[in-house]
Amino acid sequence: MSFWLLLVIKVGVIVGVVVMPLVLGIIFGELKISAHMQSRIGPYFAGGRFGWAQPLADGLKFMQKEDLVPDAADSAVYRLAPYVVLMGTIATFVIIPFGPDLIARDLDLGVFYLLAVSSLGTLGVLMAGWSSGNKYSLIGGLRAAAQLIAYELPMVLAVVAVAIQAGTLSLNGIVEAQATTELFGLNIHLPYVIIGQGLGFAIFTTAVLAELSRIPFDMPIAESELTMGYLTEYSGIRFTMFFLGEYAGMIAFAAIGATLYLGGWWIPGFSADDNLMNFIGPLVLIGKVLLLAFLFIWFRWTWPRLREDQLQTLAWKWLIPLSLFNIVVTAFFKVVF
Amino acid sequence: MTVIDPTVAMHLSEAAVSVELETADMTINIGPQHPSTHGVLRLVARVDGERVHDVNPVIGYMHRGYEKLAEVRTYAQITALVNRIDWVSGFANEVAFISAVEKLMGLEVPDRAKYIRLILTELTRISSHLVFMSSYPLELGATTPLMHALREREHVMDLIEGVTGGRFHPNFNRVGGVKPALGQGASTKKMSQDLPAGFLQATSDAMDQVAGVCDDLDELVTGNEFFQARTVGVGFIPREKALEYGLSGPNLRASGVNFDLRKKGEMVLPYDDFDFDVPIGSNGDCFDRYVVRLQEIRQAMKIVRQAVEKIPAGPLQAKVPRIIKVPSGQAYVRTENPKGEMGYYIVSEGGRIPYRVKIRSASFSNLSILPWILEGALVPDMVAIMGSLDFVLGDVDR
Amino acid sequence: MIEPPSEVTETSFESYAAELGESLGAERVVARHDTVRIYVDSQDWVQTIQSARDNAGLEFFSWLSAIDWSRDVAVGDPVENPEELEERIEVICRLSSVENGDGAHFVSVLDIEKPAIDSLVPVFAGAEWHEREATEMFGISFTGLPNTDHLYLPDSFEGNPLRKSYALLARAVKPWPGDVDVEAMPDASGEQDQNEEQTMGEV
Repeated sequence: MSFWLLLVIKVGVIVGVVVMPLVLGIIFGELKISAHMQSRIGPYFAGGRFGWAQPLADGLKFMQKEDLVPDAADSAVYRLAPYVVLMGTIATFVIIPFGPDLIARDLDLGVFYLLAVSSLGTLGVLMAGWSSGNKYSLIGGLRAAAQLIAYELPMVLAVVAVAIQAGTLSLNGIVEAQATTELFGLNIHLPYVIIGQGLGFAIFTTAVLAELSRIPFDMPIAESELTMGYLTEYSGIRFTMFFLGEYAGMIAFAAIGATLYLGGWWIPGFSADDNLMNFIGPLVLIGKVLLLAFLFIWFRWTWPRLREDQLQTLAWKWLIPLSLFNIVVTAFFKVVF
Repeated sequence: MTVIDPTVAMHLSEAAVSVELETADMTINIGPQHPSTHGVLRLVARVDGERVHDVNPVIGYMHRGYEKLAEVRTYAQITALVNRIDWVSGFANEVAFISAVEKLMGLEVPDRAKYIRLILTELTRISSHLVFMSSYPLELGATTPLMHALREREHVMDLIEGVTGGRFHPNFNRVGGVKPALGQGASTKKMSQDLPAGFLQATSDAMDQVAGVCDDLDELVTGNEFFQARTVGVGFIPREKALEYGLSGPNLRASGVNFDLRKKGEMVLPYDDFDFDVPIGSNGDCFDRYVVRLQEIRQAMKIVRQAVEKIPAGPLQAKVPRIIKVPSGQAYVRTENPKGEMGYYIVSEGGRIPYRVKIRSASFSNLSILPWILEGALVPDMVAIMGSLDFVLGDVDR
Repeated sequence: MIEPPSEVTETSFESYAAELGESLGAERVVARHDTVRIYVDSQDWVQTIQSARDNAGLEFFSWLSAIDWSRDVAVGDPVENPEELEERIEVICRLSSVENGDGAHFVSVLDIEKPAIDSLVPVFAGAEWHEREATEMFGISFTGLPNTDHLYLPDSFEGNPLRKSYALLARAVKPWPGDVDVEAMPDASGEQDQNEEQTMGEV
């Protein structure tokens, strides 16, 4: 079997078995959690119990809708954009480790690859905004591009600190490093969010919210200003692609955050070499992903949105200096201890 | 090493950009269908990226010609029209109109009817401001306050419905008083003739609920750093501009003008029997307009609680002829609506229908400041500023 | 509490109206029903209103509109004595104070054929929309109004709907089914005769 075919099968299995059920689960979770935060009941009819089938029903409904392409749109780019967004997200699952051996491809430059492909989604958003032939879409797409410049740098700098502390760019290597880091020579192993990278985790989470265009950084969509931003003209299956892409992106970044800062598939008390981790590892990672996803949902239903210039201020005046400071401190401890 | 002041550096870079890049302005058409225009307002905005150069509001999509229709309706029929002007506070619209008619006829309204009018007006104020409390954070992207505020507003709507039979359009005022309850005319002087049984307790419960949601809003919205970042210092309206454009109500008071028709003015309702404050803003920005409204809910609750305790017994209707004919004359009566000064200039020529009715609605004047205030704003601020003016398109277009 | 109108007219309200009218050089002052009407010549319109704002403390621009006094009435009731009516258009502008309850209506009488008056926009920028409304509804031309586009009506709309001569199309097609309360009143003595307006004197 060729290398590429094998890779496609592995990623296909991950996406089909883990990611898509999780996407549906998180969409359902968001419906229910937001309902409870707003003293509503949320879906309760579809599927018979708790309305569990609501995301499926929504998806089916979307697929029945006409796939409109506006006259003014650049048709080819317009049609391609949703797939670029979805592909950029799915490509990150290539290197996310679900266990010591459960990884599609353990790249030595894993973090590097990750940061590269995760920005592809923004390209898709820019394509969608540019090609829709709609002024709201255009402003939305340009906002997304401006946002990319603002948050990408703090995110990279925050991850650099993790790479320094772990001494590797491989994601599995980072997990193993967390499992073996000793706290002041004691035999205690804890994830990076507790040892050393608490500040980095906060910066990373903020940047991820901006990358995902979720409140408080959902300016590219900004319903009350730009109707629906770059999504204004999309309907039917292409809108579903964006929708899935948004939630798959949430899972991807939650998984990355979990891997880099929360110990990934490893939990304290177990050895990273243990074969057992290949069985419970995926569950541990999914648990951490759900935890982070809950955080993102919680933020969204609590806060208003910021302005684009306020995001830039936040990124350039606060996050970047803080993440540089974080790198200096991390490097200092790395050299001293 | 030379340290460049960041602001100077910014200006330098901007200068360089403006020399090299000739950017064409883009005209965006916001509305008449748009999430933040509250109906059918249309704004033709010329923007350069995120910066709004100028805005031309286009109104009239909901113009129903009430001033013309009023010339072919009897006075009793016009009350049904006027409570559709600002449909979020239907009852309050009726009071000024009916008071103007009573003024022309020289009628003295019974105290109990005045108290009922006052209670319902204040309930309407609470309901209208709760709609603002729900829609304004939504415009800034926060969805949760909407549900909480509207949930408690429903208790207030229930009270209004319990008394008048209508949630939005009570049509409860009659010339000389308010509509007596089923089958009981003005001759019945029993306490229970008009307000539904248990109204006192129901009001007290509803006010507790509203007080609860006001505290929730304080925690969820007022104190929120993101909310403050979006509203503090945004959409500043100085005192002079507010007066020049005829802004009234909370928008005027947020600019530091201590003017409330419940405290000063003709007093068609017995507000001087009650102890309440008029919240005044100091900065005239979006945040102040929000806070003034939130405080006004609390003051309105205070008035309602006092009024249901103090309401006198007595008839609901002054003695009026079966056919209302208004003596000739011209009268203007204004009241403090939730949105601002609501006034009716009625010209009567002695008949059963008015010769001319001029409707002064608050939102029309409040909205007329848009071209001035939006010049040079950012696109997201445009939405924040429009929302903070709290207009209703029915009140603009009439 | 509402004071009975008669009490108000007898006391400070009346003297306030007279003083205000005198200080602004009004032609005529009518104070009745708590409503002060100050008649000014259309030549002095802008100047009087500016002076009311600067000197009389009436700094709040409330509204501006007009009344069409015409014998040619298409819908609605005509005036009481059509023969005696002097056909005219009255422009009304209301200013009020924000320090207390003071307020006054400034009225200027215009020619019904070609009503024209100076624009208030230089004094009160907020007058623009009100004047645009009066322009399309009554056909008054405001000299110096920066924007004369239709405010409410469609751009292609013809006619001035609030003129008394403008027919209400719906009413022409189908008469209003209202007026159910036409039976004779049991007690007609409740009607009061207050038809005469008190004119406060010419200044």
